[in-house]
Amino acid sequence: MKLIITGVLARLLATTLLATTLLATTLLATTAAKAEDMVFTSWGGTTQEAQTKSWAEPFTAASGIKVMQDGPTDYGKLKAMVDSGSVNWDVVDVEMDFAIKAAKDGLLEPIDFAAVPKADLDPRFTTDHAVGSFYYSFVLAWNKGAVSGEPAGWADMFDLKKFPGKRTFYKWSAPGVIEIALLADGVPADKLYPLDLDRAFKKLDTIKSDIVWWGGGAESQQLIASGEATFGQLWNGRVFALEKDGADVGVSWNQNLTAADVLVVPKGAKNKDTAMKFLAAASSPAGQAKFAEASGYAPINTKAKAEMPADAVKSLPDAHVDGQINLDMNYWAANRDTIAARWYAWQAK
Amino acid sequence: MSVETRRNFGTVRLPAGFNGLLPALVLIVLFFVIPVLALLLRSVTEPEPGLQNYAALLGDGTYARVFFNTFLVASVVTIVTVLVAFPVAWMLAIMPSALASIVFGVIILSMWTNLLTRTYAWMVLLQRTGVINRTLIAAGVIDQPLPLINNLTGVTIGMVYIMLPFMILPLVGTLRAIDPMTLRAAALCGASPFQAFRRILLPLSLPGIAAGGLMVFVMSLGYFVTPALLGGTSNMMLAEMIAQMIQSLLNWGLGSAAAFILLVVTMALYALQLRLVGARRMSGGI
Repeated sequence: MKLIITGVLARLLATTLLATTLLATTLLATTAAKAEDMVFTSWGGTTQEAQTKSWAEPFTAASGIKVMQDGPTDYGKLKAMVDSGSVNWDVVDVEMDFAIKAAKDGLLEPIDFAAVPKADLDPRFTTDHAVGSFYYSFVLAWNKGAVSGEPAGWADMFDLKKFPGKRTFYKWSAPGVIEIALLADGVPADKLYPLDLDRAFKKLDTIKSDIVWWGGGAESQQLIASGEATFGQLWNGRVFALEKDGADVGVSWNQNLTAADVLVVPKGAKNKDTAMKFLAAASSPAGQAKFAEASGYAPINTKAKAEMPADAVKSLPDAHVDGQINLDMNYWAANRDTIAARWYAWQAK
Repeated sequence: MSVETRRNFGTVRLPAGFNGLLPALVLIVLFFVIPVLALLLRSVTEPEPGLQNYAALLGDGTYARVFFNTFLVASVVTIVTVLVAFPVAWMLAIMPSALASIVFGVIILSMWTNLLTRTYAWMVLLQRTGVINRTLIAAGVIDQPLPLINNLTGVTIGMVYIMLPFMILPLVGTLRAIDPMTLRAAALCGASPFQAFRRILLPLSLPGIAAGGLMVFVMSLGYFVTPALLGGTSNMMLAEMIAQMIQSLLNWGLGSAAAFILLVVTMALYALQLRLVGARRMSGGI
């Protein structure tokens, strides 16, 4: 019996080794083909389309370097690539609080500011390991046909008497909803941090059964446009797109909350130098102006607005700085895991 | 390896048919056994060596709730699937074969349609402003939309629909193998239709119910797409929690531990059923 098993194992091992070698050779052969080309990864949908048109296509035209698109961004995949040393992504669009945390965990390459001009970049969204991609605001949007009256601010989302019906919020643990609950509960904007989680969850409990969560931008648009949710917390670019499509939506910029996406280069990226050149192009005034015009998200290059048509500037979060609140990315980066654990525990209750 | 083993290496006798088995075995070892071992390893080494991930999962009320949800949803889905599938399977078993193959075709056809598409279709039907609620409101049956989505009802409807073929197919096989004469004999001996069903048909079809039920239950335990889209956050199932741990929290140790627990539970269930029903009967033979 023992003999049989040993023999079987030996055979199995030999075949497995052979198969692994074959597989590895094939994989190597396919990845080593083009050294200069690079891969850009973002969240898909209208946002990545705008990034392709505004950044990748002009970059390819100017440099001859092909930019392959991949997506959606997946932090688990990014970590897996860095851990295994086989990094297929060169530039990735990520949320800024993740970028700060990931830099601390050693998942990112430092930005080479000799290749990426820093002078005109908004310092709020630039770090040693990240260059701003764009910044956005969470705004209050509603379906005009489904809601009675005009919601005026975040507090109205917690008023079930005045505004009955479903309301929609961002599903994942991220800067935004906690702050909205605290603001609605009367916490002054300058006293938000450190976040009082107990108070926030208590406030959220009052409307929990009337919340529909959205997990992605397209879902938030569908919920509001169909009236499935009468109003909700949306990314301003998604509301902008709804308005462009002629949907009957209202929007309040009162206490709009800014957060940012940034571009990072994963540690061990195969085309690091190319990636830096791409970052320079994406964060340039022209790249930022084009993207902002297409998406409704704000540029992170301070010179970009001068290159945009006046009416496009009007729909940007920059036009609504009155009462605007900057979500604290550093606070979130430091407390990401603790808040997430409580967030998901509360959701599952 | 002892000297004796090495001397005999060339003359080892493999079980008959082993060479035919080899490609599948290699595939399974390479893409299943090795990854599962890596998973196990990760669950006891990240972030530091020890059993803290398992302690966290088993000692925390939230995770306990998610485990409970997972088994609740899988059980409800399995029971409802059996109840819906049995009459269909019985009908298929006794139908003229030409007609039966058409009905089979319809059932199989649904399996060839993309899962995501089918789930989104259910969203359109079930939501508050969806087809079902609008029709009922227009007909004056209800005046407030029924909560059919983002809860257990939505998950059950969506998943039963997806699982039905996996229950019907094994069940038809078992039902067809039952000799119709046994039912006639029962009737001749004075059994009422219900008695004949309960004492003859049901026991004889048990292997099919068990095989299909196990498949549905096990598939439901690890389901991701449908619960994520049709369920609410308070019905979160294990697969969604694991995705969260891996993708958004980057806590791979905890995610691996949760995945490993799911695997162990599934295998334990399988072992239990093998004992109860017997391997031969499970595979369709009686």
